[in-house]
Formats: sequence, structure tokens, C-alpha cells
Amino acid sequence: MKKLNSVTELTQFREQLLAEQQGIKKSIAICEGTGCHAYKSAAVADAFEQEIKKRGLEKEILVRRTGCHGFCERGPMAKIFPEKVFYFQVKPEDVAEIVDSTLVNNKLVDRLLFLDEKSGKRCAYQHEIPFYMLQNQVVFGNNFMISPRNIEDYIAAGGYSALAKALSGMTSVDVLEEIKKSGLRGRGGGGFPAGVKWETTRNAPADRKYVIVNADEGDPGAYMDRSLLEGNPHSVLEGLMLGAYAIGCSEGFVYVRQEYTTAIENLPIAIEQAKQLGLLGQNILGSDFSFEVKIHQGAGAFVSGESSALMSAIEGRVGEPRPKYIRTAVKGVWDKPSNLNNVETWANVPLIVNNGSEWFRSLGTEGSKGTKIFSLVGKVKYTGLVEVPMGVSLRQIVFDIGGGIRNDRKFKAVQTGGPSGGCIPEKYLDLPVDFDELSKVGSMMGSGGMIVMDEDTCMVDVAKYFTNFLAEESCGKCVPCREGLRQMKRILKEITEGRGKQSDLETLEELGAFMKDASLCALGQTAANPVLSTLTYFRDEYEAHVRDKKCPARACRDLIVFYIDPQKCSGCGTCRKQCPTEAISGDKKIVHIVDQQKCIKCGTCLQVCPSRFSAVTKLPGGPAPASVPYGTAVVQKTKGESK
Amino acid sequence: MPRLIIDEREIEVPEGTKVIDAAEMLGIVIPRFCYHEALGSVGACRMCAVKFIQGPFKGVQMSCMIEAQDGMVVSTTDQEAVEFRKRVIELLMKNHPLDCPVCDEGGQCLLQDETISGGHAMRRFPGPKRTYRDQYLGPFIKHEMNRCIHCYRCSRFYQEFAGYRDLGPMQIGDRLYFGRFSDGCLESPFSGNLVDICPTGVYTDKTARFKLRRWDLQRAPGLCNQCSLGCNTVANAHYRGVMRMEARFNRDVNGYFLCDAGRFGFSYANGDPGLWRRPLFPKIAGEVAGAADALSAARKALDDIAAKNGPGAVAVVGSQRNSLETQSMMNLVCETRGWLGPVFFFDPAMRLKTLSAVHELDGEIAVSMKQIENADFILVVGADPLNEAPMSAMAIRQAARKKAPVVTIDPRPVSLPCDSQHFAVLPKDIESYLGALILKAMGKDAASLGSESENFRAYLGSQLENFNPPESLDQCARLLAASSKPVIICGTDVTMETTPAFAADCVRLLNLCEKQAGLFNLLPGAGSFGAGLLSRTEVPTFADLVEYIENGRVRGLVFAESDPFHCYPDRARLESALSKLDFFLALDYFPSETARRASVFYPASTIFETGATFLNQEGRAQFASPVHCGGEPIRPGEHPPRVYSGLVPGGDHLPAWKALASIAGMEETCPDIAPEKFVPPSIPGFEALGYPVDGQRPALAKSGFKTQWGLNTFDKSQAPLTFELLMVEWIFGTSEFSAWSDSLAPAVLPPLMSISAKDAVRLGLADKDKVSVELAGGELEIVVSVSDRTAESVLIVPRHNGLEWQKSHDFRVFVSSEKIRKI
Repeated sequence: MKKLNSVTELTQFREQLLAEQQGIKKSIAICEGTGCHAYKSAAVADAFEQEIKKRGLEKEILVRRTGCHGFCERGPMAKIFPEKVFYFQVKPEDVAEIVDSTLVNNKLVDRLLFLDEKSGKRCAYQHEIPFYMLQNQVVFGNNFMISPRNIEDYIAAGGYSALAKALSGMTSVDVLEEIKKSGLRGRGGGGFPAGVKWETTRNAPADRKYVIVNADEGDPGAYMDRSLLEGNPHSVLEGLMLGAYAIGCSEGFVYVRQEYTTAIENLPIAIEQAKQLGLLGQNILGSDFSFEVKIHQGAGAFVSGESSALMSAIEGRVGEPRPKYIRTAVKGVWDKPSNLNNVETWANVPLIVNNGSEWFRSLGTEGSKGTKIFSLVGKVKYTGLVEVPMGVSLRQIVFDIGGGIRNDRKFKAVQTGGPSGGCIPEKYLDLPVDFDELSKVGSMMGSGGMIVMDEDTCMVDVAKYFTNFLAEESCGKCVPCREGLRQMKRILKEITEGRGKQSDLETLEELGAFMKDASLCALGQTAANPVLSTLTYFRDEYEAHVRDKKCPARACRDLIVFYIDPQKCSGCGTCRKQCPTEAISGDKKIVHIVDQQKCIKCGTCLQVCPSRFSAVTKLPGGPAPASVPYGTAVVQKTKGESK
Repeated sequence: MPRLIIDEREIEVPEGTKVIDAAEMLGIVIPRFCYHEALGSVGACRMCAVKFIQGPFKGVQMSCMIEAQDGMVVSTTDQEAVEFRKRVIELLMKNHPLDCPVCDEGGQCLLQDETISGGHAMRRFPGPKRTYRDQYLGPFIKHEMNRCIHCYRCSRFYQEFAGYRDLGPMQIGDRLYFGRFSDGCLESPFSGNLVDICPTGVYTDKTARFKLRRWDLQRAPGLCNQCSLGCNTVANAHYRGVMRMEARFNRDVNGYFLCDAGRFGFSYANGDPGLWRRPLFPKIAGEVAGAADALSAARKALDDIAAKNGPGAVAVVGSQRNSLETQSMMNLVCETRGWLGPVFFFDPAMRLKTLSAVHELDGEIAVSMKQIENADFILVVGADPLNEAPMSAMAIRQAARKKAPVVTIDPRPVSLPCDSQHFAVLPKDIESYLGALILKAMGKDAASLGSESENFRAYLGSQLENFNPPESLDQCARLLAASSKPVIICGTDVTMETTPAFAADCVRLLNLCEKQAGLFNLLPGAGSFGAGLLSRTEVPTFADLVEYIENGRVRGLVFAESDPFHCYPDRARLESALSKLDFFLALDYFPSETARRASVFYPASTIFETGATFLNQEGRAQFASPVHCGGEPIRPGEHPPRVYSGLVPGGDHLPAWKALASIAGMEETCPDIAPEKFVPPSIPGFEALGYPVDGQRPALAKSGFKTQWGLNTFDKSQAPLTFELLMVEWIFGTSEFSAWSDSLAPAVLPPLMSISAKDAVRLGLADKDKVSVELAGGELEIVVSVSDRTAESVLIVPRHNGLEWQKSHDFRVFVSSEKIRKI
């Protein structure tokens, strides 16, 4: 690749690339994001390449291995351009058929299309699929078009034009002002206005300054940044360079957790390609602006995503936060002003520079502009990454995009903002999703994790899960977080195991309030949120655990009871044979009884009891209703009854 | 300077003072665990919470994190803050094992104090406590991780302050662990400070483990006498045994810390219960005798010699261990009685170096360790701080942490706990390197420097005529030129005779170039500065004295806390010389070879049993108070001696100065002799201060440039293919204190001879090879350590107690290559 020495050369290069692609009639984008990769999408891509080669269509049909497409639940996915036909759950054996019918003969393969359960219709095109229909993929959209390992794809799709625009016609102040005007807020959790932060770093006096990408995404169930960084690394790099240009610095870091192996593979390639083209290094595109970027692999601690901890890790020390009486924007890496934004924030920057702050402001709500990518997971029908404009309601996300609750159970809550966020109950489902609204109800935007829970989810158990996670991931530096979490974890364990006391709830609240006030960093200050928010909205569940020793959601193993209804049991013996601990006694045509002492609550009996009997029930708590004496014959049912 | 109000009292504090320190200035001690003045704030323990009522911060905040600002109103007693701290202590005590009855920290435990002061007494959180596995951390430190409250003081001290990496925080969350990656000896020679710095009993003093309760201890402000720095200590004694040493804060000297040699090297005062006892009873011809008998026997024998052969036939020999009191008394005795001496030095070259180091150091250029910490360029010439005076290495590190460049010029592979640029050069070339560096960094023409320095500059020029410094020296010179407060640290052990004076004039030259340069000498022992001040030029060194004995001029000797068997390089000659004497007396607290052979032995008191003044290497007089009266210690499992007497068994010995006075008959001439009568006179500035002087630098007069440069030239030639045998000190294992302190024994490494990598190739040797070096007194067998930081043409050998280095037969020895043989 030849070094590009000016903005004009970049434009020419792009035109040349587009001209080269003229001959290509169709292209297939095969998702090689983490989800699809796990579904063996590489084999599908291989199969496509072979098939096309076999047919000698290489010049006309292009196979592109791209980053994540978002609809991870239905992977592996293939999207066919220019029609934007989507095929889901494609297997290598389907490839020949797709090539034959869709690519060559323009016919659809019905069985691989998305089936809309509500209408019963098959949806072929992106704009028909409910999951995509309501999204606005301005940041994520390019993932379909480019291969992360090929800078040419990014350039052909308009990449680096924002950098070119800034370097050729905008001063650093112009760029900064544009970002400030856009109202872009940090996508990493805090929602701090990015432009204001940049300005702080820009104005802090120092000989050196740094810009840093925070790719230490650590919330359970969240993978927006990962997919963006893996699928479109150049958009992040371009954003970072624009930030560096606006702030006036020439060095940057990408702090990426080492578990993100694909990102760690793709990033150096992207950086190397950008260097070869002169888009990184000295005098970028012939301008005075020079920029270098280094990758720092994090050892994968949740707390390392906190700005001061992350910077301390970059310096080669333990990733622990320090009190931020002086912000990292003023005193960060090696005490130099350092501007840290997360992956998604940086990826928004080129869009704002290219399209202008007005365009950006047209998306979103008054206080929160633009779009936000959420990772929609949990008990929802369609899981995956969704990008929506700010202000869309939770209900739209969960029920329209996500297709509602799986198995048509009842919605209970949605957990947003990762472990530091909170659980939002049904009454707030119409809440528009933006930074401020979520905070008002005791949760937060966070980096965009969204875990949907149904009626079978025990909220005490959820609080316990997140508290355990946080106790594991707390750095242990300050007392309230380290010891408070440890104690909370203990109390929640007692409650879910039926040993809770009424006073435990007050202790939890008291501890939580103290942790909020006394902890050193934001992780500790918000660590009590899962407990406090569930205590606020689902106190009755806690009460049930503590007072009645019952788990209303029937999830806490130590409380629930499996009971065989003597009226319904037909003495078939299936449950008795399957029970791993021989806790069920009975005989042919003799009513089966669960010995609660032996029962380990595995639920096998419930699963295997033939649905025509449905004799086994899961009760929220003990003691189990009295059964009949051993040896009682089953109630004879007439044919009609047994159904 | 910000003014603020704390607890309704106003105070003005220097810019940058933390609120916690501002309160302390008012006498309000805000509870804290992680905050330590030397280590700074980290905000981990949340214990120092106070309520900020007015000013830029509001509400409950950490007082260690916030700098005092104008208009702040702070309350430490606000209910909210009190409640906050109470909650913190409650959480901290949640996992504490409450093993206070068997914890050596008990009684001096910050956690105990804060628990009580915080008002936490009832446990609200039941459930199992968190436990850890403890590690073996070496002979000095016991690890008890269950007591940890995770304040990070240990790791911040160990890694950040002291510069060692093998102990630190590991894991996260409630598994957070402070220790080493795996069990093993701590690498830092400053590890003992963990005991002082840990607010609870995670790190305790292994040497004192389970022997005492803190409230039973006799404590007194003391001094460390193991090297010339004079670090301040608190000595702790129990049942007439010294049990433990703690660091005593002195801002100018050692700050809050001590090195391990100083902290754990006290057991000579107690003896080794298994192997040897401290000689506490006087002896005449090897037989135990009464104290009065021994003194009168000695006095009679010496009087006889003086009467028969004249007073000059009696000589008094001291050492670098003597206190100023002993030294002054020796002087007084020699003056009144006309005896020869006092002889403080064994090596004539060392005498010259010490004298010039002492006399060339004037009040304008002398710097303290605290000033080293604030230096912006540090030049270490002919000194190995970590081995000769460990705490100075710590001070150097503090400067390096503030980005001061550190340059070392020495034949030894000097290593420091910080980054440094090392020039491995022969002792004779040290001055050339130093001179070249100074000349390049002066950046001023000679004319503007005035006539005062003319002679020195001329000498410098002549020395550098044929000297081509390496390029890396230019880089160092640029850094030196850019500095404003450089410090030269000059040693006396391996340097040439002229080097200390040369370094002093280099400092003066730098000061002429608008710098605030300072000089910090390292001397051979705690008493060296005093010895240098009191040495009279007509008095011979011990090397000369041996000749006097051999030719019969000297017939009687008094060894006051002095053991030539440790210091003199020719054992055979020493033995025969001593046997020629009519009489010799040994006054000592060590059961040394000299004491064993003495005609009369009289036990001397250690620094723990007598008040003693020491002048440290910067001329600072400091006083060590006695901590106990001395006597036979009561050891665990032993019955106290069954002696029916009003005296403590073994406790009737006198301080060396008092015994000397008695032997010399001074008691008759001036019966109520006391240190205040004889200590100050010969030292300028002492009189005004009275006795004892503690903490002042009275002994420094302005001396200015030396005018006689170039008059004394020393032989710098060295035959080709020869190696200079350089005898050096190690932190553990070379000193007399180390030889008689079994507590240090586990830390002593086997002796190694360091040679340069190039010499190793030339001699066909590899690292860890065992060699035999043929010396005048026989073959010296030693293992080789090859280093590319060692100068060429030298063999560096420690004066190791386990090595018969006295086979060298001279203070300066050259060895030809064929005498080095691999075995």
C-alpha cells in the first residue's frame, strides 16, 4: 500500500477502490462476530468461498467476513447485498442452495429467512425484520459493509473522510466545538459530556497528553464495545485521532481486555494498515498532525474500566482506582492530562465530524443525543445488539425489538447499566431510555447492558448474582466496598437459603447507604445498586424469603419444594426412575412421594413428569403439603380426565 | 499560606499541606490507617473522614486526600464524621482474628487504638472470618495475613518508597493479599520497617516473637552505631536484654525508617544464648576477678611500664566504635599521662581520608539525608551506599523518585534501589571522572570563578590532561549542569587519600556556578567523625604502632572498644607483636580475640547501657540515652543467677570512658569527673551547647578551598596484569557488630569476589567458579561473582567475617594474574 500524502490522495484512493468494486454484482457479508464465530460461521464463510470459486464467480460475487451483525441469537448470519436479504442460522450445507438460488437466480431460500411469530410471515429483507426494523444503526451499520482486517473496505465505505475533513478544513478548536455542540455524552457509563472532558484535557497545561480508548468492557452480558472494536476498528481509531487532533496530543492508547482476542488480533492489523497508508504516524495526510497509538492489554478486571484504575494499569501498576480529587482529564497516565472515552463514544466522533453536530442533535432526547447500542439479553425472544436513538422506551426495546418475553412468560424487570445499575420494574417500562431518566429510577445507562427478566427470575437471586460478581471484581482497595460487599454477599446467601432475618433487610439498606457514601471509586459507590434497587421495587420478594421462607419466583433452590399431587399422580414411575438421589418412592399405580430430606431440588421430576399428568409441581417454599400414606393406590382416572 | 479552621481553631499551614497534617499541627490526631506522612495518601482505609463544613469541599471527606485551602471549616467531631469512622472500623474488625493476646503488636497497635477510640465494641456481623495462608518471609519478619486491614502501607513502603518489588498486593476483592509471589526471604535490606509501618500485626519482628509484651519493655531514645549515619532508634529492653529496635523519627537523619542491619543487629548486647555469652565479668590473666581488682591491676601494670620506660611506652588504642565520651576521655588520658595516642585508625590511608573528610566538610556544603532526598542530581563517588550506609541509599531513592538523575563512579558493581548510571572505574581514576564531570557541567569561564578556586582548577586541569572521558559522561554532565541542588556522596573506603578533599572542592566549585551543591561523606564507622576531629597529627596509626611494639618502644597497650584482630590485615604479625608486650588491657563488650588474650580484661558497656554521644558523618552530634542498666540477661527458661548481693550480676561494669579514667588514675585528680567536663573542650562550638548535645551540628567550621592541591601525590601506578585487591564492606557479615550479632547471621550471604566480565575472560573464570588467590599470608579461597558493572583490574573482596582476609598482610594489596587460580 502506498502512503497517502494528502487529503486529495485519500479521495483518489477511495474512488479507485470504488471503481475496482464496480464489477462486483453481489456481495455476501458473513458475520464473524463472537456469537456467530461460536456457531462456526467461519465454516460457512469457507463454504461460500469454495462454492463461488467452484462456479467461477469470484469476479462477480464477493465474500466478506465481517464483524458482528447484532442479531446474535440467530447466527450464523449471512447478509446479501445489494438486496439486503438476511439468512439466519446458515449451515455450510445450505451454502450451495443460497448461491444457486439467491446469488445466481435471485430467488429466496424461504426456510432460512426470519419467521415473524406474530404475523407468521417470513421476512426476507432487513427492513422487514422486527429486530432490525426499529433500529437506527448509524454507528453499528458499517459492520455489515467492511471486513475489519481490510482498511480498503473502511475507506471505500467513506472511512477516514472525517479525519480528512478535519485536517483539511477545520482547526482543532472547530473539531472540539463541533463535538461540544453535538452534546455527545460518554457511552461508558457516566454520561459525561465528551466535549467538556476534551476541553479540560486540552486546557490542562502539560508537555504531553494522551487520548485513550476504554475497551475494558466488563459488565456481565454486555458486548457492544467488543463487537464494535472487533468489527470496525478503524472507526474507533479515526475517532481517537480526531479527539487527539482536537485536544492537541500525539499519543494514544487502546486499553483492551485480553479476553477480547479477536479485537487484539484485528487491532494491530488495523493500526499497521493505517500506518502504511500514512493515516497514523508522522504528518498524517501531509498535515502537521502526527499521532501514534499503542495497544495495552488489560488483565481483565472489572474495576480496570474505571478511569484512574485503567491509567494505573497502563503505567504498569496494579489496576486500582485512586481518589479523583483531580480528574484524570487533568492528571492521568503518568500524571499527564489524559482523555479517556469508551469505544462507542470514539466511534461516534467521525460521524459527528462528517455529518455535523446538527445531524447528531436531531437524534435522541433533549439531554441525551444520538443513538445508543444496547446488548439486549436475558429472557427476551431475540437477543443481540441493538442500536436505537436515545429516547426510545424500554417497552419498545424489550417487546418490539426483542420480541417480548420468551415462552410467553410475564415480564418482571429489566436490569440496565451492568452490575452497578439497577433493576427497573414493569411500571417504568414506558420510560424513555436516556442518561437522566434511567438515573431517576435508581438505575443507570451504564455502557448499555440490558438484561431482561421474567416472572421466573428471583430478584433476590439476581441481587445475589450481581453482588457476587462485584465482590469478585472489587479491587479490594477501600474498606466499604471490600468488606461491605463481602457482608452483603453473605446476607443475601443467608436469605436465599432461608436463613434470613427481618433485620437483614435493614442491615442491607444501611450497608448499601454507607457503601454509597464511603467508597473510594464509582464501582464501590454504585456496588450496592443491585441490592438497593431490588429492595426498593421488589421488597415483597425479599419479605417472602425472610418471613415465609418462600421464593415467589421459585428460583431459590434451598427454598423451593417439589411436590407430587396425589390426585394427579398416575404412578407411572418415570420420575422415580430419573431421580438422581432416589428421593422419590412409589410403585406402579402407587402414588409417588418426594422425600424432602433426600431431594436436591434438581427439578428432574418436574421435567420428566408426562404432561398429560402434570403431577409434579414446584412450590415457592416449604413445607410441602401432606401427601397420602405410602402405598396409597393412584386415583383411577377416566379417559377424559387424564387429558 | 492557606488559613483554615479545624474544630473551631484557626491555623495557617504551608501550601500543599493535607488537612490531616494541618489538624496534627493543632494537636488533633485524626484516626488513620493508610495515610503515613512518608508514604503519602492513598485513600484506601476511609478512616480519616472528617466533615467539611465550609470551603470548596462539602460533607464527609477524607482528610488525607484534601489539601488545606483558605476558608475551609472542618470538624473532626461532627456526628456524621464520627458515625462514618465508626462504620469503617466496624467493617475493618469484621475479619480481624482478635488474637491480640498472642500478637506482638498488642499494646502498640493502631487497630486496637482506633477500635477503642471509634467506639466499636459489639459485633453485628456474624459468620466466618476471612482467612489467609501466611508466608515465610525470611529470618526477620513474621507474616500473619489474617490480621491485615489492607491499608497498603507495606506495599507502598516496600515498592514505592524502598524500591523493591518482591512484596506487594496480589489478587483483588476480598482475596486481596499482601505478600510475595511465593514464600522466601524478603529481598529488601529495609524489610524491618514493615514492622513499624504496619498499623496492626501482619508483620512482626521475628527476632522478638513471643518474648515480650510491649508494656513490659524499657524504652529509651537511642542511636544506631552500626554505620556512620547515626540513625535514630528506640531501643527496647526487657530483663536486662535488648529485645527489639524501632526506628525513631528524625526528619534530618533517617526519617521514619531504619535498615535491617541497624534494626536487627543488636543481639551482641545480649550474647548468643547457645554459643557465647557476652563478657560481663572482669578477668585478670583469663581468670574472673572483681571489678576493683581488675582496674587496680591494670593501673599498676601501666604505671610500672610508664615508670620504667617512660609514659610514651604506654599507648591507647580506640576504634571507629568509640563514642565521643570514650574518645574524649582517651584524649584527656593521653594528654595528662603523656601516653601515646589515642590511636583511632588502623590504616594510615583511612586516617588521611577520614581526617580530610571531616575537616574539608564545612557548614556551607554539608547536607543531611533529608537534603539528599530533595537533591536534583546525585553523584556517588567511591561509595557503595547500600553496603556502607544503607539508609543513605534509601535517601538517594527518594531523590530518584523525584526524577533526580543518579550517577555512580566506583570500582564496585554499585547497585541502588533506583535507576542509576554507573561508571566502573578504578579508585585512582575516580577523581578524573568526577573532575571531568564537574568541569563539563560548570558552563562558566574560569575568569568569573574568582581566585579562591584557582589552585584547585589548576590541579584539576593537570589531572585531566591525558584523560578522555567516555561519551556517556557528557550526558551526565548536561544533567548536572541543568540541576540546581546537586549532592556529591563521597566514600572513604575504596577511594584514594585525596578524594574526600577533592570531592569537597568540587562541591565548592559547583557552588561558585550558582548551584546549591552539597557534600555527604560516608565514613567507616559511627565514631569516625569524632575520631577524625580528635585525631592529633603526631599520633601514629595502629600500623605504625605495630612497628613501635616490635622495636620495643611501646610496651603496654590499652584497647578501648577496639579489636585489632578484626581490623588489622596481618594476623600473624599482630599475634607476635601482642606477645612482645609487657601488658595489655582490653576494654570491650565483644568477647573478641583481643579480649581473650588481654592481660586484664574489663567489660565495657554497650550503647544501650550508657549515655553516649556520636557525631555522625555530617558532624551532627546525637545522644543515645541508656535504656537499661545492663547485667546478665534473664533468658527464657533460665533461672536468674543465684547471687546474694545488692548488685545486678554482671552489672557492675562501667562505661569505657569511666574505666579508662580509673585506670589512668583520673579519679584522684578530678574525683567527680563527668562527660560534661571533658567532652566539649577540644571541639569548637560544643561549649555553647552544653552536654549532651542532641541533633545539632556544632562541629562544622567554614573551611573553603584547599590551597595546597598537588602537593601530596599518591602512587597511582599499577603494574600491568595486576589486580588491586579491594577490601569492602557488606551490609551484613563484615562489621564487628555483625560478627557478634547472631540475629543477623541468617541474613549473611557467603563471601563472593567480584570481578569484571572482561577480567573473567582474561583469567578464564566464570561466574560461581571457586578460586584461590595467593596472598602474602597464604591462599584465600573464594567464589567468583562476575559482573559487567565491576571495574577492570580489581578484585573486590568483602571483609567477611567468614573469610580469612587478614591473609592480605597489608591495607593496599596488588595481586598478579598468575596468583589467581581456579580450583
